[in-house]
Amino acid sequence: MPTVDVQDLQKVFKVPVRETGLRNSLRSLFKREHRMVEAVKGVSFSLEPGEIVGFLGPNGAGKTTTLKMLSGLLYPDGGTAHVLGFQPERRQAEFLRRVALIMGNRNSLQWDLPVADSLELRRAIYEVGRADFEQRKDAYVEMLDVGGLLTKPVRNLSLGERMKVEILASLLPHPQVLFLDEPTIGLDITMQKRIREFVARYAAQTGASVLLTSHYMADVTALAERVIVIHRGSILFDGDLAGLSDRFTAHKTIVVAVAGELGTLTHLGRVLEQNSFKAILEVPKEAIASVAARLLADYSVTDLSIEDPPIEDVIEQAFAIGDAQADEEEEDVRS
Amino acid sequence: MNGFRLAAMHWKVGAMHELQYRVNFFLQLVDSAIRLATGLVAIYLVFAHIDNLAGWSRHELLAVMGIHILLSGVVRTFIEPNVFQFIYTIGEGEFDYVLARPVDSQLMVSIRNLRFWQLVDVVIGAVVIGWAVSGIVETTSWFEVVGFLVAVSCGAIILYCMWMILASAAFKWIRVDDTAQLLNGLFQAGRWPVTIYPGWLRLTLTFVVPLAFAITVPAEGLTSRLNGGTLALTVIVTGVMLLITRAAWLYGVRHYSGASA
Repeated sequence: MPTVDVQDLQKVFKVPVRETGLRNSLRSLFKREHRMVEAVKGVSFSLEPGEIVGFLGPNGAGKTTTLKMLSGLLYPDGGTAHVLGFQPERRQAEFLRRVALIMGNRNSLQWDLPVADSLELRRAIYEVGRADFEQRKDAYVEMLDVGGLLTKPVRNLSLGERMKVEILASLLPHPQVLFLDEPTIGLDITMQKRIREFVARYAAQTGASVLLTSHYMADVTALAERVIVIHRGSILFDGDLAGLSDRFTAHKTIVVAVAGELGTLTHLGRVLEQNSFKAILEVPKEAIASVAARLLADYSVTDLSIEDPPIEDVIEQAFAIGDAQADEEEEDVRS
Repeated sequence: MNGFRLAAMHWKVGAMHELQYRVNFFLQLVDSAIRLATGLVAIYLVFAHIDNLAGWSRHELLAVMGIHILLSGVVRTFIEPNVFQFIYTIGEGEFDYVLARPVDSQLMVSIRNLRFWQLVDVVIGAVVIGWAVSGIVETTSWFEVVGFLVAVSCGAIILYCMWMILASAAFKWIRVDDTAQLLNGLFQAGRWPVTIYPGWLRLTLTFVVPLAFAITVPAEGLTSRLNGGTLALTVIVTGVMLLITRAAWLYGVRHYSGASA
């Protein structure tokens, strides 16, 4: 049974329209104009226990709105969501105890309190038994290496330290579903890696499902095998990472190194880089085999590899295609 | 989780935090002393000219003032800091985390903060009430003591409701801090028994902003004016206020759209 099951979920925001200038500001005192913004336009997907899924999309695509609906913060305007069998919008205590929403660059801990006191407060709110609490706390403190921070007030922690403590606090009640919204934003590479490893380990040990948004593709490639791409409120792709590049790019790259001299290669594909003994070519997927064969036949090849384009490029390509599709649909609606 | 235990935990933390700032205690003492002095001067000035004000004697008015100070201490200690924090967090988006916790969101918002030093007003209010009662000649019956305690508790709850209804408006309008000041201004009208005001204002202070039930009724308990009917009505009004507050809160949460999408 899926832990998260979403069918045709929708959210519409009513946004005031503000025009610039004093005159318009005065007019808006008496007459407010609103515009309806469809942030999420009917998305459907599901997550299995233990699954870590990357949730990708450009800013404003509807990622955070979806996560907030799934964690019970926002009421959906259409469709249904079930998380661990609960309807999130009913916000039952039992449901809230079993899910966690972690947002990067937001603080949910008591600003003036030492970390340990904040954790204690969290224990009380989530009704975690004393023995479980101590045992989990010790284990997580060691895994995240935050032993020295427990006596410091939260306001004295660096961004990275605070994020580690934030994640630690959120996982103490042992949530079975984790919604991570940009958990590594603004952190340095080492800190990002540490948090990634911790999340991966937690999911492996507890069998929790994780839905993760991030602008750092390293987070996604390290943690998730499956990705869901959302764009302008609709799902563009749902499948494994490798499938993403199959779907959105028509090319692969060939990196070739030779012992002799490389002549012109433009007849074989688009040359991205070349010097006398090494070249990188962008080649249509269907021509990969024949181009590789010709290279091997015509040159004394010392090394040859066929690569998918970098995931960042694939995503960029996917968003561009999504933009074009959405514009087309809008055209259709108008005509 | 037991709401009281959670409240006690938060209050303990709040008190520990405030105790670090001893200077606030002295500032609060000075502030309370000034307000007490101006209040006393006003009563003295009025009674330099007349013997009673709409049927209220000097000591009886002192009792009203004592209750006003005590309840204003309750508002400033327990209610106002929470309401202002809520208005702030809803603007900043931190309210998301209140909603994410497995505790009733209204309870959570109502207990997170405590301005410990403002309790000075509660103590001063109690002293003024004692002083006033000692000057009122009639002996007080058990009914009046219990009536007073019930009425003053209802008064505190009504004030809580007024503030929380205002706070719920923040779900829709976000910037309601100015309106909160308006409520504070209205609360000042409670320094005097509502019976001294002209009819339209008296009706407003009874049924629109129920300050009459919050402050004048408890004072009636101390001054042998309270009857069973008024007390029962006060309890009913308190119950209705609680229901309206809850409905306003749930409506707000239902339509919460977050600070960012």
